[in-house]
Amino acid sequence: MFYIHDNACISPQRTFPEAESDLEQISEASEGKLFAREPAYDKIPLGVLRRMGKAARMGVGAAMELVTQKPDGIVIGTSEGGLEDCIKFLNQIIEYKEGVLTPTNFVQSTTNAIAAQIGLLSANKGYNCTHAHRGLSFENAMLDAYMLLEEGKKKKYLLGAVDEISAYNYNIERLGGSYKSDPVKGPELYEMHTAGTIAGEGAAMFLVNKSADSAIAHVQDIKTLHTRDVARVATELRAFLTKNEKQMARTSLLISGENGDERVQKYYSACEEVLGPNIPVARYKHISGEYGTANSFALWLATRILQGHPLPAHFYKHAAPVSPVSSILIYNNYKGLQHSFILVTDPQETPYLA
Amino acid sequence: MEREELKSQLKKQIVEFLNLMQVKPEDIKDDEPLFGEGLGLDSIDSIELIVLLNREYGIDIKDPKEGRKVLVDVNTMVDYIEAHRTK
Repeated sequence: MFYIHDNACISPQRTFPEAESDLEQISEASEGKLFAREPAYDKIPLGVLRRMGKAARMGVGAAMELVTQKPDGIVIGTSEGGLEDCIKFLNQIIEYKEGVLTPTNFVQSTTNAIAAQIGLLSANKGYNCTHAHRGLSFENAMLDAYMLLEEGKKKKYLLGAVDEISAYNYNIERLGGSYKSDPVKGPELYEMHTAGTIAGEGAAMFLVNKSADSAIAHVQDIKTLHTRDVARVATELRAFLTKNEKQMARTSLLISGENGDERVQKYYSACEEVLGPNIPVARYKHISGEYGTANSFALWLATRILQGHPLPAHFYKHAAPVSPVSSILIYNNYKGLQHSFILVTDPQETPYLA
Repeated sequence: MEREELKSQLKKQIVEFLNLMQVKPEDIKDDEPLFGEGLGLDSIDSIELIVLLNREYGIDIKDPKEGRKVLVDVNTMVDYIEAHRTK
Protein backbone atom coordinates (compact mmCIF):
# COMPACT_ATOMS: atom_id res chain seq x y z
CA MET A 1 0.00 0.00 0.00
CA PHE A 2 2.35 2.76 1.19
CA TYR A 3 5.41 3.49 3.28
CA ILE A 4 5.75 5.57 6.44
CA HIS A 5 8.81 7.79 6.53
CA ASP A 6 8.38 9.87 9.65
CA ASN A 7 5.97 10.19 12.54
CA ALA A 8 5.00 12.32 15.54
CA CYS A 9 2.61 11.56 18.36
CA ILE A 10 1.08 13.62 21.16
CA SER A 11 -0.61 11.33 23.66
CA PRO A 12 -1.22 10.91 27.39
CA GLN A 13 2.29 9.41 27.57
CA ARG A 14 5.84 10.67 26.97
CA THR A 15 5.68 10.35 23.19
CA PHE A 16 6.56 13.87 22.09
CA PRO A 17 9.02 14.88 20.84
CA GLU A 18 9.83 11.56 19.19
CA ALA A 19 13.46 11.58 20.33
CA GLU A 20 12.39 11.80 23.98
CA SER A 21 9.74 9.07 23.86
CA ASP A 22 9.61 6.88 26.96
CA LEU A 23 6.92 4.23 27.33
CA GLU A 24 8.41 2.59 30.43
CA GLN A 25 7.04 5.11 32.91
CA ILE A 26 3.36 5.47 32.22
CA SER A 27 1.01 8.29 33.15
CA GLU A 28 -2.06 6.76 34.73
CA ALA A 29 -5.70 7.67 34.17
CA SER A 30 -7.35 10.14 36.50
CA GLU A 31 -11.09 9.78 37.11
CA GLY A 32 -11.40 7.51 34.09
CA LYS A 33 -9.67 9.90 31.70
CA LEU A 34 -6.24 9.85 30.12
CA PHE A 35 -5.54 13.44 29.14
CA ALA A 36 -2.79 14.20 26.63
CA ARG A 37 0.53 15.61 27.79
CA GLU A 38 0.58 18.78 25.75
CA PRO A 39 3.95 20.30 24.80
CA ALA A 40 4.68 24.04 24.63
CA TYR A 41 3.78 24.15 20.92
CA ASP A 42 6.67 26.48 20.13
CA LYS A 43 6.17 25.95 16.37
CA ILE A 44 2.65 27.42 16.44
CA PRO A 45 2.48 31.26 16.42
CA LEU A 46 0.95 32.56 19.68
CA GLY A 47 -1.66 34.58 17.81
CA VAL A 48 -2.94 31.36 16.23
CA LEU A 49 -2.43 29.13 19.25
CA ARG A 50 -4.63 31.29 21.48
CA ARG A 51 -7.68 30.52 19.37
CA MET A 52 -7.14 26.78 19.09
CA GLY A 53 -9.07 24.17 20.97
CA LYS A 54 -7.26 21.12 22.31
CA ALA A 55 -7.85 18.89 19.28
CA ALA A 56 -6.48 21.57 16.97
CA ARG A 57 -3.49 22.18 19.24
CA MET A 58 -2.60 18.49 19.41
CA GLY A 59 -3.15 17.87 15.71
CA VAL A 60 -1.32 20.94 14.49
CA GLY A 61 1.40 20.56 17.14
CA ALA A 62 2.20 17.00 16.00
CA ALA A 63 1.88 17.89 12.31
CA MET A 64 4.27 20.85 12.55
CA GLU A 65 7.07 18.36 13.26
CA LEU A 66 6.53 16.82 9.80
CA VAL A 67 5.32 19.59 7.48
CA THR A 68 8.85 20.91 7.05
CA GLN A 69 9.28 17.92 4.72
CA LYS A 70 6.78 19.57 2.35
CA PRO A 71 4.02 16.99 1.85
CA ASP A 72 1.92 17.38 -1.30
CA GLY A 73 -1.31 17.13 0.67
CA ILE A 74 -2.91 16.62 4.07
CA VAL A 75 -5.28 13.78 5.00
CA ILE A 76 -6.66 13.73 8.54
CA GLY A 77 -9.06 11.41 10.34
CA THR A 78 -11.04 12.56 13.37
CA SER A 79 -14.00 10.97 15.03
CA GLU A 80 -15.27 14.08 16.79
CA GLY A 81 -13.02 17.00 15.78
CA GLY A 82 -12.96 19.99 18.14
CA LEU A 83 -15.97 18.88 20.11
CA GLU A 84 -15.31 21.07 23.15
CA ASP A 85 -15.50 24.22 21.01
CA CYS A 86 -18.55 22.84 19.24
CA ILE A 87 -20.37 22.40 22.54
CA LYS A 88 -19.33 25.89 23.67
CA PHE A 89 -20.76 27.31 20.46
CA LEU A 90 -24.01 25.37 20.77
CA ASN A 91 -24.39 26.48 24.39
CA GLN A 92 -23.88 30.09 23.30
CA ILE A 93 -26.72 29.75 20.80
CA ILE A 94 -29.02 28.84 23.68
CA GLU A 95 -27.57 31.25 26.26
CA TYR A 96 -27.68 34.26 23.97
CA LYS A 97 -30.92 33.25 22.24
CA GLU A 98 -29.35 32.91 18.79
CA GLY A 99 -28.11 36.49 19.08
CA VAL A 100 -24.52 37.77 18.91
CA LEU A 101 -22.17 34.77 18.90
CA THR A 102 -18.36 34.61 18.96
CA PRO A 103 -16.85 33.31 15.71
CA THR A 104 -13.82 31.57 17.20
CA ASN A 105 -15.64 28.62 18.80
CA PHE A 106 -17.57 28.04 15.58
CA VAL A 107 -14.51 28.24 13.34
CA GLN A 108 -12.52 25.90 15.58
CA SER A 109 -15.29 23.38 16.09
CA THR A 110 -15.66 22.12 12.54
CA THR A 111 -14.04 18.74 12.01
CA ASN A 112 -11.93 20.01 9.12
CA ALA A 113 -10.49 22.92 11.15
CA ILE A 114 -7.47 20.82 12.13
CA ALA A 115 -6.38 19.90 8.60
CA ALA A 116 -7.16 23.47 7.51
CA GLN A 117 -4.97 24.98 10.24
CA ILE A 118 -2.12 22.64 9.29
CA GLY A 119 -2.50 23.74 5.67
CA LEU A 120 -2.59 27.44 6.56
CA LEU A 121 0.37 27.34 8.91
CA SER A 122 2.53 25.35 6.51
CA ALA A 123 1.34 27.26 3.41
CA ASN A 124 0.31 23.91 1.94
CA LYS A 125 -2.15 24.53 -0.89
CA GLY A 126 -2.43 20.88 -1.91
CA TYR A 127 -5.11 18.28 -1.25
CA ASN A 128 -6.69 18.88 2.17
CA CYS A 129 -9.27 16.42 3.38
CA THR A 130 -10.73 15.31 6.70
CA HIS A 131 -12.44 11.98 7.24
CA ALA A 132 -14.99 11.75 10.05
CA HIS A 133 -16.30 8.20 10.24
CA ARG A 134 -16.33 7.74 14.02
CA GLY A 135 -14.25 4.66 14.87
CA LEU A 136 -12.95 4.20 11.33
CA SER A 137 -11.97 7.82 10.66
CA PHE A 138 -8.24 7.12 10.65
CA GLU A 139 -8.59 3.97 8.57
CA ASN A 140 -10.58 5.90 5.96
CA ALA A 141 -7.90 8.61 5.93
CA MET A 142 -5.34 5.84 5.35
CA LEU A 143 -7.35 4.46 2.44
CA ASP A 144 -7.66 7.96 0.97
CA ALA A 145 -3.89 8.49 1.21
CA TYR A 146 -3.35 5.07 -0.39
CA MET A 147 -5.67 5.88 -3.32
CA LEU A 148 -4.02 9.29 -3.81
CA LEU A 149 -0.61 7.65 -3.95
CA GLU A 150 -1.91 5.01 -6.35
CA GLU A 151 -3.14 7.77 -8.66
CA GLY A 152 0.45 8.89 -8.72
CA LYS A 153 -0.25 12.58 -9.28
CA LYS A 154 1.48 13.53 -6.06
CA LYS A 155 4.28 11.84 -4.17
CA LYS A 156 3.99 12.49 -0.46
CA TYR A 157 1.17 13.07 2.04
CA LEU A 158 0.78 14.01 5.66
CA LEU A 159 -1.55 11.39 7.13
CA GLY A 160 -2.83 11.65 10.67
CA ALA A 161 -5.56 11.46 13.24
CA VAL A 162 -6.65 13.42 16.29
CA ASP A 163 -9.40 13.33 18.89
CA GLU A 164 -9.94 15.04 22.22
CA ILE A 165 -11.88 14.33 25.40
CA SER A 166 -14.61 16.93 25.72
CA ALA A 167 -16.26 17.31 29.12
CA TYR A 168 -19.75 17.37 27.70
CA ASN A 169 -19.30 14.37 25.42
CA TYR A 170 -17.54 12.43 28.17
CA ASN A 171 -20.59 12.85 30.39
CA ILE A 172 -22.95 11.70 27.63
CA GLU A 173 -20.76 8.66 26.88
CA ARG A 174 -20.43 7.89 30.60
CA LEU A 175 -24.20 7.98 31.05
CA GLY A 176 -24.47 5.73 28.00
CA GLY A 177 -22.22 3.18 29.70
CA SER A 178 -19.11 3.66 27.59
CA TYR A 179 -16.83 4.23 30.59
CA LYS A 180 -16.20 2.24 33.73
CA SER A 181 -17.79 3.52 36.91
CA ASP A 182 -14.99 2.12 39.07
CA PRO A 183 -11.72 4.07 39.15
CA VAL A 184 -9.11 2.62 36.79
CA LYS A 185 -5.52 3.77 36.50
CA GLY A 186 -3.60 1.36 34.29
CA PRO A 187 -3.21 -2.27 33.16
CA GLU A 188 -5.81 -3.51 35.69
CA LEU A 189 -8.25 -2.20 33.07
CA TYR A 190 -8.00 -5.59 31.35
CA GLU A 191 -8.67 -7.66 34.46
CA MET A 192 -11.89 -6.03 35.70
CA HIS A 193 -14.29 -7.96 33.42
CA THR A 194 -16.89 -5.22 33.59
CA ALA A 195 -18.60 -3.01 31.04
CA GLY A 196 -16.96 0.21 29.87
CA THR A 197 -13.42 1.45 29.36
CA ILE A 198 -11.39 4.64 30.00
CA ALA A 199 -11.46 7.78 27.86
CA GLY A 200 -8.41 8.90 25.96
CA GLU A 201 -7.21 11.44 23.45
CA GLY A 202 -4.23 12.22 21.26
CA ALA A 203 -2.83 12.96 17.84
CA ALA A 204 -0.57 10.85 15.64
CA MET A 205 0.87 12.07 12.34
CA PHE A 206 2.74 10.18 9.63
CA LEU A 207 4.56 11.17 6.48
CA VAL A 208 3.71 8.61 3.78
CA ASN A 209 4.77 7.89 0.20
CA LYS A 210 5.38 4.93 -2.13
CA SER A 211 9.13 4.69 -1.73
CA ALA A 212 10.77 2.02 0.43
CA ASP A 213 14.02 4.01 0.58
CA SER A 214 14.64 5.15 4.17
CA ALA A 215 11.09 4.15 5.18
CA ILE A 216 10.41 3.20 8.80
CA ALA A 217 7.34 1.02 8.18
CA HIS A 218 5.32 -0.45 5.35
CA VAL A 219 1.53 -0.49 5.59
CA GLN A 220 0.79 -3.64 3.58
CA ASP A 221 -2.97 -3.85 3.78
CA ILE A 222 -6.09 -2.47 5.50
CA LYS A 223 -9.51 -4.02 5.88
CA THR A 224 -12.49 -2.30 7.49
CA LEU A 225 -15.92 -3.67 8.24
CA HIS A 226 -19.11 -2.86 10.12
CA THR A 227 -20.68 -5.77 11.94
CA ARG A 228 -21.73 -6.99 15.36
CA ASP A 229 -21.34 -10.61 14.25
CA VAL A 230 -18.29 -12.21 15.90
CA ALA A 231 -18.23 -15.05 13.39
CA ARG A 232 -18.03 -12.57 10.52
CA VAL A 233 -15.08 -10.77 12.14
CA ALA A 234 -13.27 -14.11 12.41
CA THR A 235 -14.14 -14.98 8.81
CA GLU A 236 -12.94 -11.61 7.53
CA LEU A 237 -9.71 -11.99 9.46
CA ARG A 238 -9.10 -15.43 7.96
CA ALA A 239 -9.67 -13.95 4.49
CA PHE A 240 -7.29 -11.08 5.31
CA LEU A 241 -4.64 -13.56 6.47
CA THR A 242 -5.05 -15.66 3.33
CA LYS A 243 -4.80 -12.60 1.10
CA ASN A 244 -1.59 -11.58 2.83
CA GLU A 245 -0.31 -15.10 3.33
CA LYS A 246 3.32 -14.36 2.49
CA GLN A 247 3.62 -11.51 4.96
CA MET A 248 1.48 -13.20 7.60
CA ALA A 249 3.82 -16.19 7.65
CA ARG A 250 6.30 -13.86 9.34
CA THR A 251 3.80 -12.08 11.57
CA SER A 252 5.15 -12.02 15.05
CA LEU A 253 2.88 -9.63 16.91
CA LEU A 254 -0.76 -8.71 17.26
CA ILE A 255 -1.41 -5.16 18.51
CA SER A 256 -4.87 -5.49 19.97
CA GLY A 257 -7.24 -2.62 20.68
CA GLU A 258 -8.59 -4.52 23.71
CA ASN A 259 -10.02 -1.89 26.04
CA GLY A 260 -11.29 -3.74 29.11
CA ASP A 261 -14.93 -3.53 28.07
CA GLU A 262 -16.29 -7.04 28.55
CA ARG A 263 -19.06 -6.35 26.01
CA VAL A 264 -16.58 -6.16 23.10
CA GLN A 265 -13.96 -8.60 24.40
CA LYS A 266 -15.47 -11.41 22.31
CA TYR A 267 -14.20 -9.78 19.11
CA TYR A 268 -10.63 -9.53 20.38
CA SER A 269 -10.76 -13.10 21.71
CA ALA A 270 -12.03 -14.34 18.34
CA CYS A 271 -9.12 -12.69 16.53
CA GLU A 272 -6.60 -14.16 18.95
CA GLU A 273 -8.14 -17.56 18.38
CA VAL A 274 -7.83 -17.21 14.60
CA LEU A 275 -4.17 -16.21 14.90
CA GLY A 276 -3.36 -19.04 17.29
CA PRO A 277 -1.53 -19.16 20.62
CA ASN A 278 1.97 -18.55 19.25
CA ILE A 279 1.42 -14.89 18.30
CA PRO A 280 2.22 -12.50 21.19
CA VAL A 281 -0.46 -9.91 21.95
CA ALA A 282 0.33 -6.29 22.86
CA ARG A 283 -2.36 -4.00 24.29
CA TYR A 284 -2.19 -0.23 24.53
CA LYS A 285 -5.53 1.27 25.60
CA HIS A 286 -4.35 1.39 29.24
CA ILE A 287 -1.94 4.14 28.18
CA SER A 288 -3.87 5.80 25.36
CA GLY A 289 -7.46 5.37 26.52
CA GLU A 290 -10.29 4.72 24.10
CA TYR A 291 -11.22 7.20 21.40
CA GLY A 292 -12.41 7.05 17.82
CA THR A 293 -8.95 7.30 16.30
CA ALA A 294 -6.99 5.34 18.93
CA ASN A 295 -5.79 3.06 16.14
CA SER A 296 -3.47 5.85 15.00
CA PHE A 297 -1.67 5.40 18.32
CA ALA A 298 -1.41 1.67 17.58
CA LEU A 299 0.15 2.43 14.19
CA TRP A 300 2.59 4.81 15.86
CA LEU A 301 3.54 1.98 18.26
CA ALA A 302 4.02 -0.38 15.31
CA THR A 303 6.38 2.05 13.59
CA ARG A 304 8.41 2.33 16.79
CA ILE A 305 8.67 -1.44 17.14
CA LEU A 306 9.82 -1.77 13.53
CA GLN A 307 12.40 0.94 14.18
CA GLY A 308 13.91 -1.29 16.85
CA HIS A 309 12.23 0.03 20.01
CA PRO A 310 10.75 -3.00 21.81
CA LEU A 311 7.61 -2.39 23.85
CA PRO A 312 7.95 -2.54 27.65
CA ALA A 313 6.49 -5.57 29.47
CA HIS A 314 3.30 -3.79 30.57
CA PHE A 315 2.04 -3.91 26.98
CA TYR A 316 2.07 -7.69 26.68
CA LYS A 317 -0.90 -9.86 27.48
CA HIS A 318 1.22 -12.97 27.96
CA ALA A 319 4.83 -13.18 26.78
CA ALA A 320 6.80 -10.72 24.68
CA PRO A 321 8.08 -11.76 21.23
CA VAL A 322 11.25 -13.83 21.45
CA SER A 323 12.68 -12.65 18.12
CA PRO A 324 12.77 -9.26 16.38
CA VAL A 325 9.35 -8.26 15.08
CA SER A 326 9.11 -7.73 11.32
CA SER A 327 5.38 -8.04 10.68
CA ILE A 328 2.58 -6.68 12.87
CA LEU A 329 -1.18 -7.11 12.67
CA ILE A 330 -3.24 -4.33 14.28
CA TYR A 331 -6.83 -5.19 15.12
CA ASN A 332 -9.26 -2.71 16.64
CA ASN A 333 -12.96 -2.36 17.03
CA TYR A 334 -14.92 0.70 18.10
CA LYS A 335 -17.96 -0.01 20.23
CA GLY A 336 -18.25 -3.51 18.86
CA LEU A 337 -19.36 -2.26 15.46
CA GLN A 338 -16.50 -0.71 13.47
CA HIS A 339 -13.61 -3.13 12.96
CA SER A 340 -10.29 -2.82 11.18
CA PHE A 341 -7.27 -4.98 10.39
CA ILE A 342 -4.01 -3.26 9.46
CA LEU A 343 -0.90 -5.17 8.44
CA VAL A 344 2.38 -3.32 9.01
CA THR A 345 5.75 -4.77 8.05
CA ASP A 346 9.43 -3.98 8.05
CA PRO A 347 9.92 -1.87 4.89
CA GLN A 348 13.33 -3.31 4.15
CA GLU A 349 11.95 -6.84 3.88
CA THR A 350 8.95 -6.15 1.66
CA PRO A 351 9.57 -4.23 -1.57
CA TYR A 352 6.55 -2.33 -2.84
CA LEU A 353 4.20 -4.40 -4.96
CA ALA A 354 2.43 -2.15 -7.45
CA MET B 1 -18.28 53.33 37.71
CA GLU B 2 -15.24 55.61 37.58
CA ARG B 3 -13.52 55.90 34.20
CA GLU B 4 -10.24 54.39 35.44
CA GLU B 5 -12.11 51.49 36.99
CA LEU B 6 -13.97 50.92 33.72
CA LYS B 7 -10.68 50.94 31.80
CA SER B 8 -9.22 48.35 34.14
CA GLN B 9 -12.31 46.14 33.83
CA LEU B 10 -12.33 46.44 30.03
CA LYS B 11 -8.66 45.44 29.77
CA LYS B 12 -9.34 42.31 31.82
CA GLN B 13 -12.30 41.48 29.58
CA ILE B 14 -10.23 42.00 26.40
CA VAL B 15 -7.56 39.59 27.65
CA GLU B 16 -10.20 37.04 28.70
CA PHE B 17 -12.40 37.23 25.58
CA LEU B 18 -9.49 37.09 23.16
CA ASN B 19 -7.51 34.56 25.23
CA LEU B 20 -4.44 36.80 24.96
CA MET B 21 -1.86 34.47 26.44
CA GLN B 22 1.23 36.26 27.76
CA VAL B 23 -0.58 39.63 27.93
CA LYS B 24 -1.42 41.07 31.34
CA PRO B 25 -4.35 43.48 31.46
CA GLU B 26 -2.21 46.12 33.17
CA ASP B 27 0.30 45.95 30.30
CA ILE B 28 -2.27 47.27 27.79
CA LYS B 29 -1.79 51.03 27.45
CA ASP B 30 -4.87 53.24 27.19
CA ASP B 31 -3.78 54.72 23.85
CA GLU B 32 -2.10 51.60 22.43
CA PRO B 33 -3.61 50.66 19.02
CA LEU B 34 -5.65 47.47 19.27
CA PHE B 35 -5.03 46.45 15.64
CA GLY B 36 -1.91 46.37 13.52
CA GLU B 37 0.93 47.55 15.71
CA GLY B 38 0.30 47.57 19.43
CA LEU B 39 -1.78 44.58 20.51
CA GLY B 40 -1.72 43.18 16.96
CA LEU B 41 -5.32 42.04 16.86
CA ASP B 42 -6.99 40.93 13.61
CA SER B 43 -10.42 40.92 11.95
CA ILE B 44 -11.73 37.93 13.93
CA ASP B 45 -10.74 39.74 17.13
CA SER B 46 -12.78 42.76 16.03
CA ILE B 47 -15.89 40.56 15.92
CA GLU B 48 -15.01 39.14 19.33
CA LEU B 49 -14.74 42.72 20.69
CA ILE B 50 -18.15 43.63 19.24
CA VAL B 51 -19.55 40.53 20.98
CA LEU B 52 -17.83 41.67 24.20
CA LEU B 53 -19.48 45.10 24.01
CA ASN B 54 -22.85 43.48 23.39
CA ARG B 55 -22.69 40.95 26.18
CA GLU B 56 -21.00 43.00 28.88
CA TYR B 57 -22.37 46.48 28.20
CA GLY B 58 -25.52 45.93 26.13
CA ILE B 59 -24.08 47.86 23.18
CA ASP B 60 -25.11 46.82 19.68
CA ILE B 61 -22.75 48.00 16.92
CA LYS B 62 -24.27 47.25 13.53
CA ASP B 63 -22.49 49.77 11.32
CA PRO B 64 -18.93 48.64 10.42
CA LYS B 65 -17.87 52.29 9.97
CA GLU B 66 -18.94 53.01 13.53
CA GLY B 67 -17.05 49.93 14.70
CA ARG B 68 -13.82 51.20 13.14
CA LYS B 69 -14.07 54.43 15.14
CA VAL B 70 -14.81 52.61 18.39
CA LEU B 71 -12.26 49.80 18.22
CA VAL B 72 -9.15 51.99 18.01
CA ASP B 73 -7.76 51.75 21.53
CA VAL B 74 -8.96 51.35 25.11
CA ASN B 75 -9.69 55.11 25.38
CA THR B 76 -12.06 55.09 22.38
CA MET B 77 -13.79 51.95 23.61
CA VAL B 78 -14.32 53.43 27.06
CA ASP B 79 -15.63 56.70 25.54
CA TYR B 80 -18.19 54.72 23.56
CA ILE B 81 -19.14 52.49 26.50
CA GLU B 82 -19.74 55.52 28.75
CA ALA B 83 -21.95 57.14 26.08
CA HIS B 84 -23.95 54.08 24.95
CA ARG B 85 -24.00 51.39 27.65
CA THR B 86 -27.38 49.95 28.57
CA LYS B 87 -26.14 47.77 31.40
